[in-house]
Amino acid sequence: MATDGVSLSLKLPCVFSPKSRQYLAVCAQDGRLRVWNTDSKTLHQEYVPSAHLSATCTCVAWGPCRTVKEGPQRKKRKSEAAQVEEKADLLAMGTAAGTVLIYSTAKGSLHCTLDGGHSGGVNCVHWHPEDSLLYSGSDDTNIVEWDLQTGKTRSKWKADRAAVTSLCVSPDGKLLLSAGHVIKMWDLETKEVYRKFTGHSTAVTTLRFATTRPPDSNGLYFLSGAAHDRLLSVWQVREDGKDKNSVVSFTLTDEPQHVDLITSSSKEEAVRLAVVCKDGQLHLFEHFLNGPCKKPLSPSCSVQMSDTKESPMPIPLLAAALGADPQSVLLAYGNYLQPVMENAEINMAERHVCLARDLKTNLSLSMETTVSKVKTPIVNAKSKVLIPGLPGHKAPVVSAPQGTEKRKKDAGNKEMSIAERLGEIDLEASSSQKGAPKATASLQTDNYAVLLMQGLESKDANILNKVFQTRKEVEIKKTVARLPLPAVIPLVEELTTRLQGNPLVACMMVRWLKAVLVHHTSYLASLPDLVTQLGVLYHMIESRVKMFHKLTKLHGKLHLLTTQVAANDDRNAVSDVDHTAKLVYEEESSDEEEASGDEAFPNEDSDHWEEEEAMQEDEGDEEDEDPDSRTEPKANGDEDMEHENESEEE
Amino acid sequence: MASFKPTKIPVYPKLGEKVTQDTLYWKNYKAPVQIKEFGAVSNIDFSPVAPHNFAVTAFTRVHLYGPFSQEPVKTFTRFKDTAYCGRFRSDGQLLVAGCEDSVVRLFDVSGKVALRMFKGHTKAVHVTDFTSDRYQILTGSDDYTCRLWDIPNAAELSTYQEHTDYIRCGVTSKLNRDLFITGSYDHTLKVFDARAEKSAITMDHGQPVESLLLYPSEGLLVSAGGRYVKVWDLLKGGQPLVSLKNHHKTVTCLALGNNGERLLSASLDRHVKVYNTTTYKVVHNFDYAAAILSLALAPDDESIVVGMTNSILSIKHRKHTEESKEIMSQQRRRPSYRVFVKGKNYVPKPDDYLVSKPVKEHLAKYDKELKKFNVSKALDAALEVWLRRKKPEITVGVIKELDRRGTLKNALAGRDEKQLSQLLHFVIGNIVDTRFAPVLLTAAEMILDIYKSVIGQSALIDQQLLRLQNILESEINLERELLEVLGMLDAMFATSITRKEVPYSDVGRSNGLAQGEASSSRPELQVT
Repeated sequence: MATDGVSLSLKLPCVFSPKSRQYLAVCAQDGRLRVWNTDSKTLHQEYVPSAHLSATCTCVAWGPCRTVKEGPQRKKRKSEAAQVEEKADLLAMGTAAGTVLIYSTAKGSLHCTLDGGHSGGVNCVHWHPEDSLLYSGSDDTNIVEWDLQTGKTRSKWKADRAAVTSLCVSPDGKLLLSAGHVIKMWDLETKEVYRKFTGHSTAVTTLRFATTRPPDSNGLYFLSGAAHDRLLSVWQVREDGKDKNSVVSFTLTDEPQHVDLITSSSKEEAVRLAVVCKDGQLHLFEHFLNGPCKKPLSPSCSVQMSDTKESPMPIPLLAAALGADPQSVLLAYGNYLQPVMENAEINMAERHVCLARDLKTNLSLSMETTVSKVKTPIVNAKSKVLIPGLPGHKAPVVSAPQGTEKRKKDAGNKEMSIAERLGEIDLEASSSQKGAPKATASLQTDNYAVLLMQGLESKDANILNKVFQTRKEVEIKKTVARLPLPAVIPLVEELTTRLQGNPLVACMMVRWLKAVLVHHTSYLASLPDLVTQLGVLYHMIESRVKMFHKLTKLHGKLHLLTTQVAANDDRNAVSDVDHTAKLVYEEESSDEEEASGDEAFPNEDSDHWEEEEAMQEDEGDEEDEDPDSRTEPKANGDEDMEHENESEEE
Repeated sequence: MASFKPTKIPVYPKLGEKVTQDTLYWKNYKAPVQIKEFGAVSNIDFSPVAPHNFAVTAFTRVHLYGPFSQEPVKTFTRFKDTAYCGRFRSDGQLLVAGCEDSVVRLFDVSGKVALRMFKGHTKAVHVTDFTSDRYQILTGSDDYTCRLWDIPNAAELSTYQEHTDYIRCGVTSKLNRDLFITGSYDHTLKVFDARAEKSAITMDHGQPVESLLLYPSEGLLVSAGGRYVKVWDLLKGGQPLVSLKNHHKTVTCLALGNNGERLLSASLDRHVKVYNTTTYKVVHNFDYAAAILSLALAPDDESIVVGMTNSILSIKHRKHTEESKEIMSQQRRRPSYRVFVKGKNYVPKPDDYLVSKPVKEHLAKYDKELKKFNVSKALDAALEVWLRRKKPEITVGVIKELDRRGTLKNALAGRDEKQLSQLLHFVIGNIVDTRFAPVLLTAAEMILDIYKSVIGQSALIDQQLLRLQNILESEINLERELLEVLGMLDAMFATSITRKEVPYSDVGRSNGLAQGEASSSRPELQVT
């Protein structure tokens, strides 16, 4: 059982919509259902089941095509009026929690939830081709027949001793194939076993009818594929019941993952088969089903994909659908989160075809176009919000009676046009989006009181660092205000130790300290040993502040010097004109007012300037040598000072 | 002749964490060896006999590790589900482990297959232990019962159903074969006597009990549950002695270290705290990467083994190499020292003629230069990289001495770009240190005076001056804020003093000013 579960979970559901192949439904690793438009190659819809993490989607099946104009609750019978365009609408998803979700692509929301039928995870779902019936097989060994008009189980029967891993309804809707321990064929009217087929040793993952002929004509064939099995077996339903073994088998390179076929309705028509294997290869077969064939058949064509790099890496194919034209195949490849769709023409003459694609560009292209159509799930008031970690919780399910109510209501105004419906969707979407930020805002915390408490209690440096790095004044205030009183003195002590050292860090600590003093004034003042408690802090601050006077003076001095230097640099950078102006001042050697006035005259030649520069250099040299040779420090200093004054006046 | 006085280096109080005997002892471990297990490590137990292997229970396995091996020397895998509480018998021959599937298995340490299976519990067994007579096994289970089993015939001897929730910890007495204690999620600890039908003592911990520990004397019992570690006096009938709350998440494991003088507690908050067992103060703290589920110390604290929720087993071994090296070097030096000391404590007789031999004074490099009046070189010597990094107080001391002599300006002058940048680097690094600020401020001012004219010629120096300016600016901002805080504190002290009339003791002088202000502001404060 466990191994079955693993293999099934590895195989992610990935299904093309029937007929026109307009959509690809993929349930990726993240539990979300994405519906991709194969024409525009963009994300059409995205749906996040509310329990997508706990109850993952195990299987997906498209409902039969129907006219969209009909209300969603109408029977999914093929419309007699063929001119009305038929569209794939409903998607059935089986979940690991045992429920079946029906999702409507036209509405873009969950249509209804079918539950109460299974006690184990659902392994497979299959629609009845004509009536609005749905069949699901589960780990609890039962098959349930759901009536979609009521949303209730119509019948339920034990199918096998082992879990039902696969299901298939015959194209005429009269027979049902189920695979568990053995493959059984049921008569759907009487719910009795019609035939049994044995042969697979592992769990059967794929069951498909290959022909549309009636069972008593010796012409009904179906095929089956199993986990870890590199053969697809074809079984014949014979009139005489001597159908013990498979009649034909197709060889594959790995376990089949996605099977698409075009059924044949007569002996002269070949069955065309496209099988995507687990190793990412696609195999195409074409075979006339007319009796047993001893040898396993090898594919008429194998398709692989690779990227366009220097050393090509294979790109896994995810699904393939055969087109009406024998050459064309609709491919989906890449990863499940963002598959790339392509309608490829394949040269069937060659046995092996390798397609080279640049996946990167394709990916980014589709990325750009997806954004607008992403749909957020609509949470209605009755759905429960689940908290992770609750034991034994299941997918929140809309109860069956409510589902029927909804259906009735919708059935009432079934004439609602697409435009109206779209409008409704948009409205709901926008309202849910508006609601969303509020909810997140309420979840966000605006203070670290609890964290700070924990940090102080266990003296955890990591936590304390994190808390003290806060720069927002509001957060600091709130944190301090909500801090319980016993933690105040430890906090002050911690801040005292952190106040020493780098001024930038200390500055942040001072903010905290101020907040503590402001918020807990009365508490601190009421402490009997306040002086001893805060004495250390007081001393520390006092000794640090002692140098304030001198520091400020030094800072001022430094500021003056550096700004002068910067100004000099600026002047150098601007032009030579300024330099000449400076020279004017040197020549006149009088007062500054004149010099500043003279700066405006650009009438001086550059010779003098060069002289001046040389002079300066000489002076500089002298200075460099001076201090070593001099003996009297005082005099040296004085001279320096005088000299500096001169140069500053420049 | 006045001799040269070496530069006096002031001794400053050390900043930061105090180094105690305990921090030295508990820091003397090598870098941890980390081993990835298959699942969360729920229990670690050291074998009581010589090589002191330890059994690590993680997921469905019990691994035996040797004292220095990083690979399991033995693995017991015969568990159907998660294994719990693999413990050794006092002779180190047998190992017992519980399991999620309610079966208790007994293994021979050298064998592979379970010797005995004890079936009877209906739910997972989280507690197993041997009694001190070696022939019985105590088990505690999630079915609220604890049972005693006979090893030879695998039979159940007695069942106690007194707890009302999961039993998650238990210990047996090492002195009395009939005594055992269990702790349960119903917040209680119960002391049982196998000869009696009911529990002897019940203690209420107040939180679900996660771990139990008996002191070697067995007079005291330590229990951990919730965020509390509690110590109980068993001889006084279960009187609570101490309640410790030093973790911010559930305490999961307890251990004794340092010959029972230290108590260790491990918690989900990733910390291991070491307590002194006489004062019950935290003396040391270890930090780990993930929430800790299990902790064990080898005899003599040779290694600390910690198991975490992220399935990593961390083993720290005690450092030995340095100790042995020290001993070696001491042994080699000893005879020469004896020669050196020879005659030192000889008392001269009254009629002896004393010839005094001047003791050769050892001078530091900077002092030698100072003695020769090479002030510039003395400063260079004090600015050597290792000195200014490791002992900035010496560098500052030398600068101070130079300043006292009035030769600081000489020493600072005449430096090229590289030397000056070194000097500035030192100043920038230490000017905000309150201990050095007065001296360095003077030095910085002098540097500015001397090199004023060349500012702007070197990009490097300019950059450093800018950095100095920035750091000064931030420091000034800080001090401005600090002055405000000082004002607040003054006001606060003033109110408290006027109300309480507490005489100033040590800080009296520092805020005498505050007191003066307080007297004037008192009436206003009282009004408000």
